[in-house]
Amino acid sequence: MNRVLSDLALGVRLAVGGSRKSWVRLALQGAGIGMCVAVLLLAASIPTAFGNRDQRGDARNVVEEGNGAAPLLLENGSVAYRTDFVSGAYVRAVVADAPKPPGVERLPGDNEIIVSPRLADLLASPEGELLRPRFPQKVIGTFAPEGMDGPQDLRFLAGDSKIQRNDGNQVYAFGQQYAGGGLPTILLMLSIVGAVVLLFPVLVFVSVATRLAAAQRDRRLAALRLVGAGAARVRLIASGEALAGAVVGLVVGFGLLFAIRPLADDIPLPEVAVFPSDLTPTLPLTLVVVLSVPVLAVLTSVFAMRRTIVEPLGVVREQKPVKRRLWWRVIPALGGAALLASQFGKFGGQAKPEEWPIIAGVVLLMFAVPALLPWLVERAVHRISGATPALQLAVRRLQLDAGTAARVVGGVAVVLAGTVTLQVILAGVENDVKAEDTREATRTSLSISVNEATPLPDLPDVLARTPGVVGVQSLLRTWATTPDDGHTTIAIGTCTALKTVVDLEDCADGKTYLVPTGNGLGDPEAGDVVKFEETGATWTVPAFERRTGTRLGLFVTPAAAANLDLTHTTAEIQAEMDMTRPDVAEHVRNALAPYSWRVYTVFFGQQNSSEIEQVFLAVRRALHGAALITLLLAGASLLVVGLEQVRERRRPLAAMAASGVPRGTLARSLVWQNGIPLVISTVVSVGTGVLLGVLVTRAFDAEVHYDWAGIGFVTGISVGMVVLVTALTLPSLRRATGALGLRTE
Amino acid sequence: MSIGHALLGLLEGGPRHGYDLKRAYDERFGHDRPLHYGQVYSTLSRLLKNGFVSEAGVEAGDGPERKRYAITDAGVTDVERWLGTPEKPEPYLQNTLYAKVVLALLSGRSATEVLDTQRSAHLGTMRDLTRRKTDGDLADQLICDFALFHLEADLRWLELTAARLDKLAEEVAR
Amino acid sequence: MTLLTAEGLYKSFGKTNALDGAGISIREGEVVAIMGPSGSGKSTLLHCLAGILPPDSGTVTYRDRELTTMNDGARSELRRTEFGFVFQFGQLVPELTCLENVALPLRLSGMKRRDAERASKEWMARLEVDTVADQRPGETSGGQGQRVAVARALVTSPKVVFADEPTGALDSLNGERVMHLLTTAARETGAAVVLVTHEPRVAAYSDREVVVRDGRSRDVEFVR
Repeated sequence: MNRVLSDLALGVRLAVGGSRKSWVRLALQGAGIGMCVAVLLLAASIPTAFGNRDQRGDARNVVEEGNGAAPLLLENGSVAYRTDFVSGAYVRAVVADAPKPPGVERLPGDNEIIVSPRLADLLASPEGELLRPRFPQKVIGTFAPEGMDGPQDLRFLAGDSKIQRNDGNQVYAFGQQYAGGGLPTILLMLSIVGAVVLLFPVLVFVSVATRLAAAQRDRRLAALRLVGAGAARVRLIASGEALAGAVVGLVVGFGLLFAIRPLADDIPLPEVAVFPSDLTPTLPLTLVVVLSVPVLAVLTSVFAMRRTIVEPLGVVREQKPVKRRLWWRVIPALGGAALLASQFGKFGGQAKPEEWPIIAGVVLLMFAVPALLPWLVERAVHRISGATPALQLAVRRLQLDAGTAARVVGGVAVVLAGTVTLQVILAGVENDVKAEDTREATRTSLSISVNEATPLPDLPDVLARTPGVVGVQSLLRTWATTPDDGHTTIAIGTCTALKTVVDLEDCADGKTYLVPTGNGLGDPEAGDVVKFEETGATWTVPAFERRTGTRLGLFVTPAAAANLDLTHTTAEIQAEMDMTRPDVAEHVRNALAPYSWRVYTVFFGQQNSSEIEQVFLAVRRALHGAALITLLLAGASLLVVGLEQVRERRRPLAAMAASGVPRGTLARSLVWQNGIPLVISTVVSVGTGVLLGVLVTRAFDAEVHYDWAGIGFVTGISVGMVVLVTALTLPSLRRATGALGLRTE
Repeated sequence: MSIGHALLGLLEGGPRHGYDLKRAYDERFGHDRPLHYGQVYSTLSRLLKNGFVSEAGVEAGDGPERKRYAITDAGVTDVERWLGTPEKPEPYLQNTLYAKVVLALLSGRSATEVLDTQRSAHLGTMRDLTRRKTDGDLADQLICDFALFHLEADLRWLELTAARLDKLAEEVAR
Repeated sequence: MTLLTAEGLYKSFGKTNALDGAGISIREGEVVAIMGPSGSGKSTLLHCLAGILPPDSGTVTYRDRELTTMNDGARSELRRTEFGFVFQFGQLVPELTCLENVALPLRLSGMKRRDAERASKEWMARLEVDTVADQRPGETSGGQGQRVAVARALVTSPKVVFADEPTGALDSLNGERVMHLLTTAARETGAAVVLVTHEPRVAAYSDREVVVRDGRSRDVEFVR
């Protein structure tokens, strides 16, 4: 045991061993691993962040059942403002100690309002000018964090003494827990796959960073081996070195986390912004990070030392290494593909099968990229003979040490593969989720739903008098259950009214139309007998024609609706607007401001995505953001490795420059040296990414779509990254090739 | 090693008795082999005959008669010629070289020049030997190498002395 | 005829004056040894002469061309085409085979790979290292490596070969062999050799020597 410890200690001493070089190496390792650790810790904070957000959301849910008369009446009054969404409610306390939602000190009285800080900012800013008329109340305070989802929440709570008790507005308490909820399965899986795909490269970088200055260290350890250190001891010494770097990296990583935490509430995406205090890694995940990073560092360094241990002399003399073997490198690829293939179609319906085969499959396939790359690069450069001296220098270098180069670009390749995967999955899923809303942006009417309990017969007249409104149409809406337990909405209106929401060119009274859902699930068939839940009445769906539109479901002309039970319908008014007036929708909404919670408005011309699409958009944005961060990390690691390589090869570079080899040739050889593996790895990673995407999409039983533009974009960025990094190493090449490089150290 | 040139060099500092000369010589160059009186007087009389020194009076007193000797112009020229001529490169000549360096320093002449001249001569011989070696057979090579290594040792000594001239000058002046 | 002349060279690194008014003149085809103690500025003088390092002041003239006024690219090309270089160690590209190392300067001048390697083979045979043609420098002995370096320096038929302590890392026998082959080959092709060394036996392969001391050179035959 003592021997083991002293060997480890020797390794640590070699890592920090006083000389400037070893400090530089340790600093580079610490920085590289530190960045990875910070990213991992951020990821480990996500459960806390979203858990807290869910908890706060749950704490706000109203309890609608209780004994006696409810102490509080609450009407939902969320409003849309341009592309923002302001959630909130109007309340009336019936008793003095009425329950209050979290985050407020007291309930607002009549004409009082509590707003979130962000809403207060918006109302105070010029951009909020057209929102102000809707909130004429006196602001009596702002929400404390526990009353909001996140720091960027737009939220209000207003008092209104005119609220009358009805079936739907009684509140006994806050804090109703609902089972389930959360993300839809497909988005949940997308997030998990995304996290795996994005975090895996981070682990790859931990090993890249651990292997910084590897050649030099290999030679040193080989020398130790040659003077008689046993294989086990050399492994221990190497582990000690790796441990030192990993520990420094952990410290740096925690430091980075605390440094970037305060920035979390400035993230301009409301769906992503979190309170800094929410950005706390969960204890189990923190432990996983703290343990796995050093273990990974030690494992990579020991694993990478196979050659040093087997043939130390060859390492010292820079002999041509032994040929890489293929067989074990294809196992992850095959295994991953097989695992994913076995899951085809299992995630299609509402069922929630096991998640681990998907995750394991994704991890295995991702691992295939760094496993296969060195072999592929070696095979590829074996054939190239080098047409120009620059190419020859690069190829020979790659032949001697394909591993380093492959590792250098391998990290980028993994990110690239991951991002491409995500894009394929996103493209498939998006196509699935998205309603056919391509024409929505041309819609010109504001759709106004009226609160069931408070009919507003004068609303059409008010609207008709509003400047900017050129026509007013009314629809009736009701809901029914289809025989296969789906829900469908049924809207009744004249042809003119229907045309505001459905794309109809020829409409005749007596006809029925259907705007189908994207995947066809829950759509009624002609002849189906649908049931109205409230009254128990039934209705047979007549023959219909399919159309596109802004709303889904059946659209029935009055003549065809003869047998429909219309006792439980809500009114929906379509106000057609003069779109030449700027912000006309906001002006019309302001005209309706006195109705506050009694109406709910949607302007499809602006708010062009459904709720699931918004969530989807948020997930997509988050994934892309994370991909960008990972790519930047990749770039930084690449740069560190690139500089390191130039430093290691200083003497031959200087001698070549002295004997008149043009710097251009040396620079070109550097470009080739990164470029050849880059091209190979781009091909491999785009291939792997597309394959992975297709396999996962198939597991969700979705149609495969390719986001070629996106793939091209990410590929371009990765290629650009390598080119940029190569360019950034040129100044150090310049320094190394100066005459000073010739002087003995 | 030429005792005559050494004595001439010493006389450059000013006229001296024979006995004085012997003492000065022994002090500087004679560490393990002091001069005999006989050697001093026979050398002086040869120098006198060649006109390199002249008698500069007799000092009366007790004991043996004490003649003082002074260097002539011809003697100075001879010393100069001697310092400027490299010794024939051969083993074991450090005595002479050392004497030359010291006398150059004593008389304010350039000791570096003495050393450089000698280095040139040594290298010249080494070049000849190297050439002979490359053209010759193994026996030639071995013999030449023997000489080369010895000459190289001399040259290294020359280098070292050159590097320490300042220090030597200090000590000689004392 | 004078090939390469340097006059009044000054060069300082920080506060140390590496060259303090050094001058030298090299004639066609002669072998000149630059000697002097360590730190005297021998290597710096060589670097300036070869156009690797621009001096702070002074002139270096190669065949009526003023090196000190040429730009980096032009000097690079001159070094590649007119000069050859042998350093103490670490000059061979470790990834390339010995043959490829020798052929590199020819290929940089645009020669076809096959022709370049044929010419290189001949030179390697002349320097008795054709047996290691397909090995990498790391797999050869020190003496072989230096002879490969000499072959690479001579393969372009340079007018001047600069050799900076070419035998510094070798034992006597290997050192002499390198020197013998280098000077013989240079004399045969008419190349001048500028040889920086502190070893008299190595300098003995020269035609004459120039001593550098404290950044000043004493070129005995420096006439102008």
